[in-house]
Amino acid sequence: MLFKILISYIIGYVQISVEGYFIERFMNICISKKILLWNIKREKSTYLYANVGIKNFKKLKEIARVTKCKINIKEKKGLPFFLNKHKKRKIFLILLIAFFISLFALSNFVWNIEITGTENIPKEEIEKLLEENGLTIGSLKNKIDTSKIINSIRLNRDDIAWVGIKITGTNADVKIVEADLKPEIIDENDYCNIVSNKEAMIVKITAKNGTPVVKENDIVKNGSILIAGYIEGKYTGTRYVHSEGEILAKVWYSKKDKMELQQQEYNKTGNMESKYSIRIKNFVINLYKTLPNFQNYDTIVEEKKLKIFSNFYLPIEIVKNTYYETQPQSVEYSKEEAQEKLIKQLEEELEKEIEDPSKIINKQVNKYENENNIEIELIYEVLEKIGVDEKIVF
Amino acid sequence: MKNKRKETRLEKLLEMPKEIVSNEPRITISGFNEMLIENYKNILEYEEFYIKLNTFIGVININGYNLNLEKVSQDDIMVTGKIDSIDFENIIEE
Repeated sequence: MLFKILISYIIGYVQISVEGYFIERFMNICISKKILLWNIKREKSTYLYANVGIKNFKKLKEIARVTKCKINIKEKKGLPFFLNKHKKRKIFLILLIAFFISLFALSNFVWNIEITGTENIPKEEIEKLLEENGLTIGSLKNKIDTSKIINSIRLNRDDIAWVGIKITGTNADVKIVEADLKPEIIDENDYCNIVSNKEAMIVKITAKNGTPVVKENDIVKNGSILIAGYIEGKYTGTRYVHSEGEILAKVWYSKKDKMELQQQEYNKTGNMESKYSIRIKNFVINLYKTLPNFQNYDTIVEEKKLKIFSNFYLPIEIVKNTYYETQPQSVEYSKEEAQEKLIKQLEEELEKEIEDPSKIINKQVNKYENENNIEIELIYEVLEKIGVDEKIVF
Repeated sequence: MKNKRKETRLEKLLEMPKEIVSNEPRITISGFNEMLIENYKNILEYEEFYIKLNTFIGVININGYNLNLEKVSQDDIMVTGKIDSIDFENIIEE
């Protein structure tokens, strides 16, 4: 029943008014001839409004003649009448079709590549790798062979443990798991030296296997041999071994920085202006013409990709430039202040480099003063274990 | 009448729905504004305030205002509008 009405919406139906004295008879005949009427409304005693399907309308005329009723069409409704009404609006129709075609065509391309999971590897490198394998912004979706790309990336790079590429909509999601670089493991049966990996002063050296080459208080460079992989015996001659041992050494970490006593600082005044531009790949349309009126300003650029659905990205980006007005302010530091500030800054930087800050034995501050600036060198002395295995190549 | 009673026994055994087997009308009223009548014969009268339907066992009178016939087909009819009262006129003598 409801289904029939729905179909008649598509095929088309008419709203009719019936005028006559035998309307009940008219209706009964309609029903017995299986003509579907719906939304029947009675008005006064001689009027009836009803909806009837397009195909049944011709049959109605005959019934009306028999029952001496008058039928008038009040309104034509449904899809065919709607299309007929808008027949003259050809450009609208063409644009509508063009819009849908372009939507379907655009959905076949990749418009956004999202790389997640990278920490040490720069994203540009991965983008380059993807580009070489045919996954770029604007490449056809069904030409992308994800398993092939994954394989070639895994073969190319040792520092990537796992790559996953998922294409949803126009969005390519590239997930990367970085591998920890493994030290070269040398087989225990192979002969090896222990080599310094840092510039350091030896504090203690104990060799379980092999001959120590350096003594305590020796200063070694990066790469010089600490424990050589051979033993010289009186009777046996030189015998190569897999050297083992522990070397404790002082390692110096130093950092230098300079600071002008008279400085210009830029403070935000609170005034800001935002300007927008549209970017389509490399083509930029500026929606503004003038630069901001401020003399000094900071610029913050935000980019936003347009998308229709949750993962249907369009190749259009909106770029928002926000300009914050700044005001220069000359600040003069006293020497003590500058020194304190510099030391604090250097300490923070150095402590990031040192693996174990509890092993710091000594701190040294070297100060070079001038009229206009102050220069400070901070040196940390750290007790560390050094030494890496290196295979002996004959 | 005897013949009919035998039928009903069989139907009870088979658990057949009443409205399919017999000609009795089934009237469903949902809310005060909607009414569905199945198994009717024809429309006797239709006004904005009064509907008279003929069924196989009698006549149904519906009073109200703004009464519309939402859907009309061969065996069911949907009445919408403010329904005030319904009454029946039995034809079959018992």
